[in-house]
Amino acid sequence: MSEAPIKEGYTDDQRYEIFNREFMPHIDSMYNFAFRLTMDEDDANDLVQDTYLKSFRFISSFEQGTNAKAWLFRILKNSFINDYRKKSKQPSKVDYQEVETTYNSEEAADASYTVDLRADAVQDLIGDEVANALNSLPVDFRTVIILCDIEGFTYEEMAKILDIPIGTVRSRLHRARNLLKDKLKNYAGSMGYDA
Amino acid sequence: MNAPSNPTSAAGEKQEQPMKHHCEHHAECMKMIQAILDGEASEGEKEHFRQNMDLCMPCIQTYQLEKCIKESLHSKVERRPCPQNLVATIKAKLNA
Repeated sequence: MSEAPIKEGYTDDQRYEIFNREFMPHIDSMYNFAFRLTMDEDDANDLVQDTYLKSFRFISSFEQGTNAKAWLFRILKNSFINDYRKKSKQPSKVDYQEVETTYNSEEAADASYTVDLRADAVQDLIGDEVANALNSLPVDFRTVIILCDIEGFTYEEMAKILDIPIGTVRSRLHRARNLLKDKLKNYAGSMGYDA
Repeated sequence: MNAPSNPTSAAGEKQEQPMKHHCEHHAECMKMIQAILDGEASEGEKEHFRQNMDLCMPCIQTYQLEKCIKESLHSKVERRPCPQNLVATIKAKLNA
């Protein structure tokens, strides 16, 4: 930790106290997020460790009383994009820019997009099938669903974590959910549902 | 369901209307329904939803489907807890 920036405002005791009180309680959520992003236990371990060490180094930029969980998730997301994705054993098959461009150019088609899938078919799916459908989404679409539906972040928090406007959060969620329904439909179809 | 951007019916009392089986604003309605389920809808959207929800079959089905998917993601997808040795490793590195 010798390269850590010189902290301002907090004593050493305060840094450890803030770290333990504000950051550590979120480690299960952070690990779960890392695992859902990387889909690999070892990579999730590395990502969470890197994120927590970074959070300690840069603790002077954390303001007590603000949203520690969102602050940590933002660091983890940036670490994933900047570090992990470049050296990943399984690099993302789909470049996000490409995905966004494709979907933006299909706004008209998206407007009338419907998936013939019934709620009772989803009700009957088991957890692994739902997880596999989620895992099969491009990572940037997977991310918004994890943040919103699994971790329960608000749109405003998601906008801060992802560095995008709230309107983009809404539209990305909308597209992600359409993609997810397509994937869920495949599982529902394989169970014998006709839709 | 009527377009969410047109709240004129929201102020008036609900009138007897036949159930719609085709929604001409489906994409807009789906975004509104998702915002409601996410707890992010505006007061105008919530009022529009209350006034029109039970009049449009595609929107009723969309609401049920979106709600079911959201609940399934939350309750059925296994959460991976952080391994204890990772917590110990992080603390050891901080104290090194």
